[in-house]
Amino acid sequence: MAATKPRTGSFSRNFSSAHSSKTPGYKHGPNGTTFISSGIPDLDKILCGGFPLGSLVLVMEDAEAPHHMLLLRNFMSQGLVHNQPLLYASPSRDPRGFLGTLPSPGASKDDKSRDNSSEQEKGLRIAWQYKKYFGDDQESTNAIDSKYEFCNDFDLRRPFDRHFFSGKHVECVSILDSSSLSNFRDRCATFLSQVPRNDGNISSAGRIAIQSLCAPQCDHSNMEWEMLSFLRYLKSMVRSSNAVAVVTFPPSLLSPSFSKRWQHMADTLLSVRAIPDEDKELAKLLTGYQDMVGLLNVHKVAQINTQVPKILEATTFSIKLQKRRYLVLECLNQAPIDVSSGSSYGSTGSCSGSSKTASLEF
Amino acid sequence: MDRMASNLLDGAIGFDDPTNPSPLIGRLLLVEDCVETSGAFVLHHLLKRAFSSPNSSNAVIFLAFSQSFVHYDRILRKLGCNLAAQRDNGRFVFFDMLTLGCSGEKTRSGKETDEGVLVGLYCKIQRAVDALIQENKKHVTIVIDDISLLEVAANGSSNLVLDFLHYCHTLLSEVGCSIIALDHEDVYMDIKRPLSLQLEYLADVLIKVGPLATGIAKDVHGQLTVLNKPVEGLQDKLRNRVQNFQFYIKENGTEFFYSGSRA
Amino acid sequence: MAESICRALRDGALQGELAPTLTIKDNINSPFGFHAFSHVLTQLSSNILAGKSQSRGLVLLSFSRSPAYYVQLLKKRGLNVGSSAKWIQILDCYTDPLGWKQRFMEGENVSNVDQEVSNLSHLCTNVGDMDKLFSSIITLGKAGFVGEGTVRFCVAVDSVTNMLRHSSISALAGLLSSLRSNDSVSSTFWLVHEDLHEEKVIAALEYMSSIVATLEALTPPPYESRSNVDNSYLERRSTKGRFHVRIKRRNGRVRVISEDFNVELAGIKFTSISSEDAVINQVLIPKVQFNLQLSEKELNDRARVVLPFEHQGTGKPIQIYDGRRSLSESKDDNIPLMSNEKGNDDGWGKGEIVYFRDSDDEMPDSDEDPDDDLDI
Repeated sequence: MAATKPRTGSFSRNFSSAHSSKTPGYKHGPNGTTFISSGIPDLDKILCGGFPLGSLVLVMEDAEAPHHMLLLRNFMSQGLVHNQPLLYASPSRDPRGFLGTLPSPGASKDDKSRDNSSEQEKGLRIAWQYKKYFGDDQESTNAIDSKYEFCNDFDLRRPFDRHFFSGKHVECVSILDSSSLSNFRDRCATFLSQVPRNDGNISSAGRIAIQSLCAPQCDHSNMEWEMLSFLRYLKSMVRSSNAVAVVTFPPSLLSPSFSKRWQHMADTLLSVRAIPDEDKELAKLLTGYQDMVGLLNVHKVAQINTQVPKILEATTFSIKLQKRRYLVLECLNQAPIDVSSGSSYGSTGSCSGSSKTASLEF
Repeated sequence: MDRMASNLLDGAIGFDDPTNPSPLIGRLLLVEDCVETSGAFVLHHLLKRAFSSPNSSNAVIFLAFSQSFVHYDRILRKLGCNLAAQRDNGRFVFFDMLTLGCSGEKTRSGKETDEGVLVGLYCKIQRAVDALIQENKKHVTIVIDDISLLEVAANGSSNLVLDFLHYCHTLLSEVGCSIIALDHEDVYMDIKRPLSLQLEYLADVLIKVGPLATGIAKDVHGQLTVLNKPVEGLQDKLRNRVQNFQFYIKENGTEFFYSGSRA
Repeated sequence: MAESICRALRDGALQGELAPTLTIKDNINSPFGFHAFSHVLTQLSSNILAGKSQSRGLVLLSFSRSPAYYVQLLKKRGLNVGSSAKWIQILDCYTDPLGWKQRFMEGENVSNVDQEVSNLSHLCTNVGDMDKLFSSIITLGKAGFVGEGTVRFCVAVDSVTNMLRHSSISALAGLLSSLRSNDSVSSTFWLVHEDLHEEKVIAALEYMSSIVATLEALTPPPYESRSNVDNSYLERRSTKGRFHVRIKRRNGRVRVISEDFNVELAGIKFTSISSEDAVINQVLIPKVQFNLQLSEKELNDRARVVLPFEHQGTGKPIQIYDGRRSLSESKDDNIPLMSNEKGNDDGWGKGEIVYFRDSDDEMPDSDEDPDDDLDI
């Protein structure tokens, strides 16, 4: 199936090698990049593979909704599943407490029953759900053990057991006090120094998750240039190591000019938005409104080692909680009847910039 | 004579003039882009131009604030140009500026000011230019990617950035360098007297890159406006002319076409 | 007129009065201030060379171009800048305004400037120091061309904008005013980019000058939005523009002059405002798919359209329906309006509203309640 993947560049890796790689949780992408999973299967699909190592992912928060936390949690949990070192920073006094809210991977048995039950609900959506198993992860599905999949489904209602963290490399940092930004920068540097980039094999990849970097309770929140300088430093550090940094921030707390500067800094830029509750009009307009908790926008997809922008079929997705447990992203404009044609973003081919399929978009 | 086929962008800048193969000598070219549409491909295109012309007296000094060498090398390789080889030939001087001014806190106590950082950088550039001229590389192009990050390195002092650019500008008139700089226009939207306006005064050629007004399209990646200021030595047909066209970026080059004329 | 500006600068200052001062300002929509500046510079230079002006020499503070550029420029205009005629001195604030080069080039002096230029230019490495700047201007002027007696010289600053980056407006104003009031200064002129400074700064510069010249684009930018690539440059394509001059005369009046200019290969050309303006203006209005303005004919046509509610007023006293009147009295009303108007038609034609249905989806007007499918 690697051979069916259309490629535009003349220098591309032999994809079969990706699957012979022993380390789980890594996937070779085009242009010599390596993906790690975002922890949300659908988001990996949308981003044509996941987050490339060495990239900075910015998530623009909605001041009215905590959806960015969903993204952060899954990103962190996925790292724990793959035994990857994790650095978590938040503007709270006790960031370690957040670890207790991380979702644990749904068991593979669960997976089956989940698929079956939802088949009754929405048959077509399932076909699409299965599709990923025919994709890059075919081999791992055969292996059954979900722990070695590239990307797990996380059960948001089942937290990780506390004892699970023991023996894992997890650092928690509070970014509340004033001098912390420079301290924190050094902390990041030390953290990243354990996952240096050498062109050979990837032994381990680090994950940095920073929540609400410019939160108003932080002393540095009015030092806009310092924060920008920190981001720039973080980005260049991440670039030269095997790591991905996900940073969420509320853009409304920055001046418009700085908000733009932050956005320019991002390799991958996402935003989450709340949707109004009990909105009759929206309920009519959007299929599956009842299950929706919010919207996700993809503004930028990382362009590492390439100049070709990735043009997605759709940029707005609804965030749904399936069975109140699993995070699912769906194309917003799709009525269920169109799923078969519209779900093509799940296939890797449509992600290459040269794809000519016409898209219908809002 | 020219190995590279001319396209709309080259024509708009003046590369298609056989009497003047290096129209950018002594000129500053500014590329302005926005979050939605990156203008980096213009830099890549011009970089390739600089190396693919048969004129081996071209050399490039690259100030990379936003990406690492690997990134540019891979892209240019797909465009058919080997940066690593050019670097070994001494025609490509790469300054990795990713962490310039970042070690701030520590050095600040060590008395290295933001100004000192930029003075030091200019000093390096000047020496590199001098060295290249010595090796008979007559036409040196200085590429800055990008100015808004240079501003971060200067800790937000736009005056310092302008001073730095002024010094680079002196190299234009003294030794006939060219400057190609990328900047983000949308960063300055809410500021009254933006740096970008100063840069637009300074620029001889202005290229604006933006998304299509109609939104995202699969086969058009954005549109581009080229403005040439009326300077001497410019082809008559380009004087202060505004040209608009659209582009489609591929790994091995960028297609330029007029709106609606794409097959 | 541009002529009269040059004349005013040429004639110079009267004993005991402030020297005439010209501010040239431009903005990004018509960024040709430098062309105007170099026009004034060359005009004044040729006057100085011909001995027609009060000043015997010129001190140029070059911030935005190199001295070599100016030497080239003057040569190209046929002016003798040879070392024999030391009528121009350039204070070089361009090459190393902050002393950066000096800082790391200790000792080694890399100078690829040719002899001719270096004879005329003097490097300034600390442009932020206004006092020093002032004393070097005066020294240059005095040493260069002011011999004995009251020989005067001109001072030109090619970019006040650049100066303001290194000093405050009050320090700059101090420098400029002490230049104006100096006995050996005949006249001064400078260039500033209007939109890069606060209004206060521009006002201060205008306050200190006796002539203010503004370069403007012929039409204002059609849209403020700078994000729209298509529109923001439409008018910039023009090398033409309007040149507004306000001359504060000694008798207290203000003379206002407007001229057209066009930047050509050989330099800026001024012409008196022509009647073609209207035509030009029309051409410059952005071409959009819909009309923003109506032609005269269209205006007339529109005026003649009889709108439904106007029918009663077609040349007759307005009658409001009164049910009490007998039918016979209201006979006139029964005459169809169409035939009625045809009689009055005096060759002008009649306006009417031509209406195309947009599509078949659109239902013809009906009495149906448009909201009846609303489910409330």
